[in-house]
Amino acid sequence: MKSTKYSEKVLDHFRNPRNVGTLEGDDVAVGKVGNPTCGDIMEVYIRIDGEKITDAKFRTFGCGSAIATTSMTTEMVKGMTLDEAMKLTRQDVAEELDGLPPIKMHCSNLAADALHEAITNFRRGRGEHVDEVEMTSIPEPGCVVGQDEFLNKGVWLGVNDPSEFKDLRTLILHSGDESVELAIDLTEQTDRVILLTPEKTVMTTPELEKRLEESNVKLLTESKLLEIRGEFEVEKVLIFNIDEDEEYELFVDAVVIIE
Amino acid sequence: MKQVYLDYQSAKPVDPRVIEGMSKYLNEAFGNPSALHQVGDVATEALEESRKSIAKFINADEDEIIFTSGATEAINMGIIGYALRNKKKGNQIIMSEIEHISIHNIAKHLERLGFEISKVPVDQYGRINLRKLERRITDQTILITVGMASNEIGTIQPINEIGKLAAEKGIAFHSDAVAAEGLVPIDVKKDNINLMALSSNDIYGPRGLGIMYMQKKYRINPIIIGGGQERGLRSGSEDIPGIVGMKLAAEIMNKEMDKEVKRFKGYRDRMIKQILEEVPDSYLNGHPIERLASNAHFRFDGIEGESILLSFKDLNISVSTGSACTSKTLEPSHTLIATGLLHEEAHGSLQLTTGRFNTDEDIDIVLEAVPKVVSRLRDMSPIYKKK
Repeated sequence: MKSTKYSEKVLDHFRNPRNVGTLEGDDVAVGKVGNPTCGDIMEVYIRIDGEKITDAKFRTFGCGSAIATTSMTTEMVKGMTLDEAMKLTRQDVAEELDGLPPIKMHCSNLAADALHEAITNFRRGRGEHVDEVEMTSIPEPGCVVGQDEFLNKGVWLGVNDPSEFKDLRTLILHSGDESVELAIDLTEQTDRVILLTPEKTVMTTPELEKRLEESNVKLLTESKLLEIRGEFEVEKVLIFNIDEDEEYELFVDAVVIIE
Repeated sequence: MKQVYLDYQSAKPVDPRVIEGMSKYLNEAFGNPSALHQVGDVATEALEESRKSIAKFINADEDEIIFTSGATEAINMGIIGYALRNKKKGNQIIMSEIEHISIHNIAKHLERLGFEISKVPVDQYGRINLRKLERRITDQTILITVGMASNEIGTIQPINEIGKLAAEKGIAFHSDAVAAEGLVPIDVKKDNINLMALSSNDIYGPRGLGIMYMQKKYRINPIIIGGGQERGLRSGSEDIPGIVGMKLAAEIMNKEMDKEVKRFKGYRDRMIKQILEEVPDSYLNGHPIERLASNAHFRFDGIEGESILLSFKDLNISVSTGSACTSKTLEPSHTLIATGLLHEEAHGSLQLTTGRFNTDEDIDIVLEAVPKVVSRLRDMSPIYKKK
């Protein structure tokens, strides 16, 4: 089956998604799954009255089936009790949509997971006992492979003359306010500046945070630099996504590590 | 609703003039060029006339053209055939990171056969770095292969400089010209190209046909063995209707290319200007100047390519994307990644390629649709933040 060969029901939910939006209030719980690397992010909002789900909304970044499955999930859960909703599976959602192409069954059908997360969050907030979900272990920070080998061959330990970065795709490791300021300054030399931090956000002063937000600096959060690669000079880096427990290569021309 | 086709890079219709000219070779003049009778002679004449015409299209000599069943076969023949023939001279092959996927897969195959593959990175616009290419050359290098232009982002490579470098070092230079043919003039002599692949469909000829160009003093091992057609380099009875079709397509292209390219440039520049102006947080992928006249390639923050494609499908507009969700492997486009994009950025891409049968009205329709489609998908995206 072609990856875009969808049932009429899937196409209907893609074209006319039900319940797009968010909910607010003390009686609202949110569940979020996916990540932009894999190509799908789904947020499910539910309003809960006692044990019953009275309303549901969603927002989705992703392909056609991602949008359709979240839309369908919000339709299905309205009126369900929390226990019933916890039993709703990806398979149930797919069946209600008259099936999904096999290749889409996993990554684009996470809406039920987002729903379960919302319910778990809500129950935990009420002080109920909830089975703990296993946490992904975060590896200890270590030295970057290739840092010494490529020193002055694309690896910089400090920057005196920003114009040397003209048109270079530059990766800067976040290490205090100096690195944030440098990242913002370098956007005047090159349109590709990436600031990498293992944290969920870049910790800095409110003033720099605002400037960073308005700048063209691309943020890579919850990420670590594992290795610098190339022949004779820096050509790419190996990045570890902590949240996803995944490694991938990124092509860059320069790496700035201010220690 | 009007059908708008903006995916000429993936397939082209055959020009009606080509269909008319080739049809008599399907029945009336059906002969086999290997046969010595009169019916066979008609076929032989068509075959050799076609060879001459196609040679002229790339400024080659007629005995440098070998007909194949398409560009993929021609690429296999040119790269694998040359590597096997010359493995005693060395085992290293240099290619670019943004070659067509078929060359990446051939490279994997050659690695299993004991060859070493070195991939040259490109800059953020997809252009190969000549200095990095030169530094990779060793005394074991036997072949450099760099495509004339990217089939995805349309970036045109500095082919003349690469050809010059390869010639100075005495290394064979192979180029996959499929994305560029019909859009930039091809001159194998001027650019020092020794081996090249072309497809018939990419110049509005029939599918299932292509050529391998091989300069006279070069030698390869054949990949397909049989009755010895095409000087033993590509056995199998020649597809005369297809070959005549490609010849006619090349002749039309020789006459009309300049004018046609000018028209495509108009479409392209209009699309790039208007989309970048009207859609916030949109970017052009590929080179701003050194790009194919037919190619406009964008990415949009916060949305995903398959959703874009499906939305256009509902509007009867055929487009393409580099998003992982539409690929067989669920991996994003290796070309976009090689330009330095993150996976999430590569996901939100849109490829618009124009061709012979597009009109100004097609461009009007797509330009009206793009901002609407992007904004609808962004309204339901949790990761899109307005700057």
